[in-house]
Amino acid sequence: MKEKFKLTLCDGPSCIHNQSKEIRAALEAELSQHGLADQVSIHLSGCLGMCKQGPILIVNPGFTMYGKVEVADIPNIVKSHLVEGSPVAEKVIREDHLYNRFFRIFGDVDFFGKQMRITLRNCGIIDPENIDDYLSVRGYEALAKVLTDMKPEDVVAEVKKAGLRGRGGAGFPTGLKWEFTANQESDEKYVICNADEGDPGAFMDRSAIEGDPHTVLEGIIIGGYAIGASKGIVYIRAEYPLAIERLEKAIAAAKEHGFLGDNILGSDFSFDIEIRLGAGAFVCGEETALIHSIEGSRGMPRPRPPYPSVSGLFGKPTLINNVESWANIPVIVLDGGDWFSTIGTETSKGTKVFALAGMVHNTGLVEVPMGTTLREIVYDIGGGIPNDKAFKAIQTGGPSGGCLPAEYLDTEIDYESLAKAGSIMGSGGMIVIDEDACMVGLAKFFIEFTQDESCGKCTPCREGTKRMLEILTRITEGKGKEGDIEKLERLGHMIKNASLCGLGQSAPNPVLSTIKNFREEYEEHIRDKKCSAGQCSALLSYVVNDNCVGCGACKRICPVNAVEGTRKEKHVIDQDKCIRCGQCYDVCKFDAITKA
Amino acid sequence: MVTPIDIIKKKRAEAVNRIISKGYLSTKRVYVGMATCEIAAGSKEVMGEFRQAIANGLTDVYLSQKGCAGRCNLEPTVEVVEEGKIPVKYGKVTPERAREIVERHLKKGEVISEWLI
Repeated sequence: MKEKFKLTLCDGPSCIHNQSKEIRAALEAELSQHGLADQVSIHLSGCLGMCKQGPILIVNPGFTMYGKVEVADIPNIVKSHLVEGSPVAEKVIREDHLYNRFFRIFGDVDFFGKQMRITLRNCGIIDPENIDDYLSVRGYEALAKVLTDMKPEDVVAEVKKAGLRGRGGAGFPTGLKWEFTANQESDEKYVICNADEGDPGAFMDRSAIEGDPHTVLEGIIIGGYAIGASKGIVYIRAEYPLAIERLEKAIAAAKEHGFLGDNILGSDFSFDIEIRLGAGAFVCGEETALIHSIEGSRGMPRPRPPYPSVSGLFGKPTLINNVESWANIPVIVLDGGDWFSTIGTETSKGTKVFALAGMVHNTGLVEVPMGTTLREIVYDIGGGIPNDKAFKAIQTGGPSGGCLPAEYLDTEIDYESLAKAGSIMGSGGMIVIDEDACMVGLAKFFIEFTQDESCGKCTPCREGTKRMLEILTRITEGKGKEGDIEKLERLGHMIKNASLCGLGQSAPNPVLSTIKNFREEYEEHIRDKKCSAGQCSALLSYVVNDNCVGCGACKRICPVNAVEGTRKEKHVIDQDKCIRCGQCYDVCKFDAITKA
Repeated sequence: MVTPIDIIKKKRAEAVNRIISKGYLSTKRVYVGMATCEIAAGSKEVMGEFRQAIANGLTDVYLSQKGCAGRCNLEPTVEVVEEGKIPVKYGKVTPERAREIVERHLKKGEVISEWLI
């Protein structure tokens, strides 16, 4: 029978205390009593951010939201709404919140169930190139509210109250940053949006700008008002042409409507935003390097203090925040800092966007409340590991982060817990690794990246990462020596302690964390000259086994003529000639080649 | 005195009217994902098919683009939203599938269940 209703029941920690388990049981009992069990499905969602009203029950289609649901209400809701079709008006809550709008469309898809969308609230819902779409979802109302009712210091206080922390990765309290910059006396101040997203495989900022550019702009304008700036700059990499195009369109439309320019919305606040393109250097995501790049100098970091909030762009006080931080601002203004601070953990408030990639069924962009466990992301949202492979590790924070093995799966995500586990929050890259991956090779990949992107200004980073890469290359080629692991550790700690900027200070993390959690793999590579994951080609050998029927496919494809044998007889691979390209392994239809 | 809030409320009302005048109140609203990732997966061609269908006389349909909803492995995605019904979400939509969605879903109201997310 065709399904008629989908029910979503809030399963956040607070709602569990409010008996959502009992409610579910009552629902199931009541549904089967009315013979509706196969026409109605019940889904559990993560925290919906409405804990005061919890437990929440959402009925789709129609997106009817019931609040403070008690077991005693269930018979009535089922009978009058699901059977007779008229919602129980006195239990329905109508809140005009900005977040979680996607539930109206995606509420019935498991992938979205545990998510909570604040920064991505309009992504995938509205037309990003049409300002009317943004206006229709209370767009620029936060700006209007700020200009009507709030003094700059009130805005700063609201952001402080929210407990928002920098989403670029370091997690510095955003409100404090705003306060420092606001307190500076200067004839000119600047606001910068850092959209120089550089982690391999991360695309949170790109999607946010492409899906909802006006949110970011609105956040920046509010920031400008709060600290007393008249000029904003979006620093975005030139590799994001569509994001740039939509941002340009959005800025033009905002100017046309008077949200940018002189006397915004009839007030005496004037503000303008321009776009600066970066050439894609990873280090330019570091704030002082970014400022140098905008000034027209070479993108290299400088020692801090002075921090940009005191002396930033052109020596003026400058407020720099990441795209995701900016996108939170309109919500904090409209829904309130108090509300925002109810989401998340003790130290980390709100949500975080992750680019979930690697070996999971559902790769994609996810936004979860802080405090969600890694397990929930990998298994509930990501749908688990494909091909029945085992989970091996999860890599967070890109080239600055670390790899966490299975025992950390129940870690509740926040800045502190991830750091304690030996990784970092980072800007939001999240790569799931299955049993087939070689951790030494993975560490080498990230060191190759940071080594390549090191600007060369300070010696520990420039020379240190190069030496680490040499050692790792040696190990993966079977030329590792006793003492290499210790040498890597020593180098790693030295680079961490002595480097000038965040790039160098975090560059050894992938190596150090894999040594900490997967030391035996390093030892295997060095002592046994073996890579059990079968990824380090120099440590592999391809051998023909007894399945061989002598078809000759491997012989024909081998680029160096290393396969010998006559037709219909077992072939042999000459190990001296073999370059371990693996083509024979791929072409064999009889599983007759063993990779060892 | 006119406050910024008054101005924004007026602007919102105007914006909603403009959206409605473009056909937002049609029975079916079709959203095609058009972020970099979706375009790389072929959503421009899919959008082209829907535009073509409207040019060829398909009525009572509001066509719009949208950003990335996050379902990378199922792109391009297309949503068909009808008031009072569960929104229909199609994944891995090709131009061929788009043509069939036009014929079967938009014209005849048949949800093509095997392509749902």
